[in-house]
Amino acid sequence: MASLWTDYIWPLLVIVAQSVLLLVVLLVAIAYVLYADRKIWAAVQLRRGPNVVGPWGLLQSFADLLKFILKEPIIPAGANKGVFLLAPLVSCGLALAAWAVIPVDAGWVISDINVGVLYIFAISSLGVYGIIMGGWASNSKYPFLAALRSAAQMVSYEVSIGFVMITVLLCAGSLNLGDIVEAQASSGLGRLLGAPWLTMLNWYWIPLFPMFVIFFISALAETNRPPFDLVEAESELVAGFMVEYGSTPYMLFMLGEYVAIATMCAMTTILFLGGWLPPLAVAPFTWVPGIVWFTLKVLLVFFMFALVKAFVPRYRYDQLMRLGWKVFLPISLAMVAIVAGVLQLTGWAPAPQ
Amino acid sequence: MNEASALYPALPELILAGGAMVLLMIGAFGGERATSPMLSYAIALLVVAGLAIAAMPDERVALFNGSFVVDGFAKFLKILAVLGSIGTLWMSGDFLADPDRRKFEYSVLILLATAGMFVLISAGDLIALYLGFELMSLSLYVVAAFDRDNVQSTEAGLKYFVLGALSSGMLLYGASLIYGFTGTVKFAGIAQEAANGGIGLIIGLVLLFAGLCFKVSAVPFHMWTPDVYQGAPTPITAFFASAPKVAAIAAFVRVSFSAFPAIAAQWQQIIIFVAIASMALGAFAAIGQRNIKRLMAYSSIGHMGYALIGLAAATGEGVQGVLVYMAIYVAMTLGTFACIVSMRRNDKPFEEITDLSGLARTNPAQAFVLSMLLFSLAGIPPLAGFFAKFYVFLAAVKAGLFTLAVLGVLASVVGAYYYLLIVKIMYFDEPAPAFDPMGNALRSIVAVTGLFVILFFAYPGPLVEAAAVAAKSLF
Amino acid sequence: MNALLQEYLPLVIFTGISLAMGLALLVAPFIVAYRQPDPEKLSAYECGFNAFDDARMKFDVRFYLVAIIFIIFDLEVAFLFPWAITFGQLGVFGFWSMMVFLAVLTVGFIYEWKKGALEWD
Repeated sequence: MASLWTDYIWPLLVIVAQSVLLLVVLLVAIAYVLYADRKIWAAVQLRRGPNVVGPWGLLQSFADLLKFILKEPIIPAGANKGVFLLAPLVSCGLALAAWAVIPVDAGWVISDINVGVLYIFAISSLGVYGIIMGGWASNSKYPFLAALRSAAQMVSYEVSIGFVMITVLLCAGSLNLGDIVEAQASSGLGRLLGAPWLTMLNWYWIPLFPMFVIFFISALAETNRPPFDLVEAESELVAGFMVEYGSTPYMLFMLGEYVAIATMCAMTTILFLGGWLPPLAVAPFTWVPGIVWFTLKVLLVFFMFALVKAFVPRYRYDQLMRLGWKVFLPISLAMVAIVAGVLQLTGWAPAPQ
Repeated sequence: MNEASALYPALPELILAGGAMVLLMIGAFGGERATSPMLSYAIALLVVAGLAIAAMPDERVALFNGSFVVDGFAKFLKILAVLGSIGTLWMSGDFLADPDRRKFEYSVLILLATAGMFVLISAGDLIALYLGFELMSLSLYVVAAFDRDNVQSTEAGLKYFVLGALSSGMLLYGASLIYGFTGTVKFAGIAQEAANGGIGLIIGLVLLFAGLCFKVSAVPFHMWTPDVYQGAPTPITAFFASAPKVAAIAAFVRVSFSAFPAIAAQWQQIIIFVAIASMALGAFAAIGQRNIKRLMAYSSIGHMGYALIGLAAATGEGVQGVLVYMAIYVAMTLGTFACIVSMRRNDKPFEEITDLSGLARTNPAQAFVLSMLLFSLAGIPPLAGFFAKFYVFLAAVKAGLFTLAVLGVLASVVGAYYYLLIVKIMYFDEPAPAFDPMGNALRSIVAVTGLFVILFFAYPGPLVEAAAVAAKSLF
Repeated sequence: MNALLQEYLPLVIFTGISLAMGLALLVAPFIVAYRQPDPEKLSAYECGFNAFDDARMKFDVRFYLVAIIFIIFDLEVAFLFPWAITFGQLGVFGFWSMMVFLAVLTVGFIYEWKKGALEWD
């Protein structure tokens, strides 16, 4: 009996508690990320943004949540009801599921699987399903066209993201996200320069700078963020595949979108910005816990996301496809060969464990 | 580099695959203008690959941990396949001259299909078998629908693709069952485990054979053949009828003898049934046909039945018979199809048998060679087709399969009727308008195959001996 | 608990909890919100018109083409994953094998490009 308790029930409870904790923190963070997104956008346009609900509008997102829950849910008469309701659930559930493998500090991860990158890659591919299902089930033209567009767009940028990940894997030699971060701690440019405490320079964003840029832009496209928000392109497709949605189903799509953005920010941080590592390995910086560095870096990347949304005009669809297939794909394909060639020639490839 | 020189036995495959890619690039950058030089480049590549095969040593070499085997058997059949491909490309010049069809992909696809056949012929395990099978089939699906503004051609391509995908599925399912029950994909390993494989292995074997039967278009997996042969452009039909058949028969023989010698009694029954059914269907269903390509489709079904008799004998002589049969079959088919390709008036193809009527008066030379080819297909002595049948029937008799041999003879008697009917139409019916004059390429193919078929009896030694050497390398 | 379970059970539980949370949010308005559907409200949106015809219509074949090309390249990436993480152990032969593979795919890519499979107008 005792072994059942110690072997199964207690670990299970721990897992559940950890999961709930991460989800709650994540969702509250998303609420403020949304708020920040609106505030930054407003600031760029010299507006004030949400400022009524709570002090400086800080409770705006929670007010929105309440409003969504109290709205009348509408299911169009022609829709496939099951799929119509399943789509937002899939969208949001998958986006959240990716966070199970993201390490926010050394060892702080729900599930420390050794194929973390593959898992993230798979989950983000599945994200297309939510959109296709939603667009198709609505049985209305705008959603249908928008879903097709969006699927083609996400799929196009998925390929470059895959190649970018390959170059990082070549340097790190592991699929485990924690190991990838650790690999950036010890070796790299900083060490070559004879200054191992400059960990900032060890991170992959310097040696793989072109891939860092491609990853960032592809992440924008993959999450349908402006300037690649052709899914919603309100001037052409009204609200894209979400036209027929209202109330919480709509909210789940939006939530899924922002969680996916957060995932992409976290992935950028882990793959290129050294995850939870401090930028300088000297006294005051090393005292700060890793989770703080991780959060700061994620927020920095998100700040860039928000600025891009505010600054850059939307792409045309053909430009978008051109960028994905004719610019990013050849460059990232060539970079895979170049990175592999450099590692082969210099013998810097990670040694077998 | 050591690894690079170890790849030498795979040189023909590498030549074809690498060459196909180079041609693809030339074509991509050259556009339509590249079409006709491309045809000659492709033929040159095939010739080089053929010479590389001929230069290979006869003894058995295994590459990639035994996945890829080069031996006398592979050598013989690869040369046969390459001849089939060269013949096809040789007669395609006019077909590609049409502005609508001036697409360089044709040559590249034929090259890739040939590379697939090579892999299939040399396959030493189930994975290589499947890879070769798919590389060949995928290229064939595309060429079947090559004339894409033509409804019949696209229909042929689609039908071939759908049924072909089904057969690939069966083959793959059979392969996975065999792997499951023996624990290995290597033919040598399967051969050791096959004796105690049980019923699951037999089911796997049946499914594997079903996939292969589809490719050789043996009954009961022949239903795609008439429609695809009729719909596909004629040079491509010639291709379907020659090279891929060689490769599929090669895979059939190699799988049977190197992976399943222990359960020969079981697969012999399957092959005997398939052979009898194919011969019978080929003989009877062809009688009512009016379209000559459809007729040739049934004829090829029948011929695959005869070829499989050799396999059914399950002896070295049987394999020798199969090899001789395939060599002669390829020559007869290419010659006949070259004549069919030349059935054009004012640059429009004609395919009805009645279009041939009175050919003896409008073009006596062509009529003579075509009737010789048809007599040979019917198996009338002393033409080559007779010897082909003779060797397989002899092997069957020696293996004690008297019924099979007798049924084979009866089927060829029935089959002779429709071949002779065409000869009668050519010689005794009122002449139809004359066809356009034959091009030099077609003329050379008809001449070479005609001479081969007529003069084979005088000097059968080299081919028969080469086949004997090739067959020996399997045992 | 064995190692496999220890690694993957949290994944399942986490996904389960997030799906449950999503489901709760999805169901909430059906319980608490005011509902009064009518035919106009439930009709498909089409800029003020009644829908002309069914929304499940034919669409451009290029989407299909993109999907096919995507499958090719995504599979390629899938092949690259195991190669990339064992890169240090593979040596020269492993490196050149993959370079040949990439070269073959690049040939295909150039062909697609030249044939206009990547054009979008």
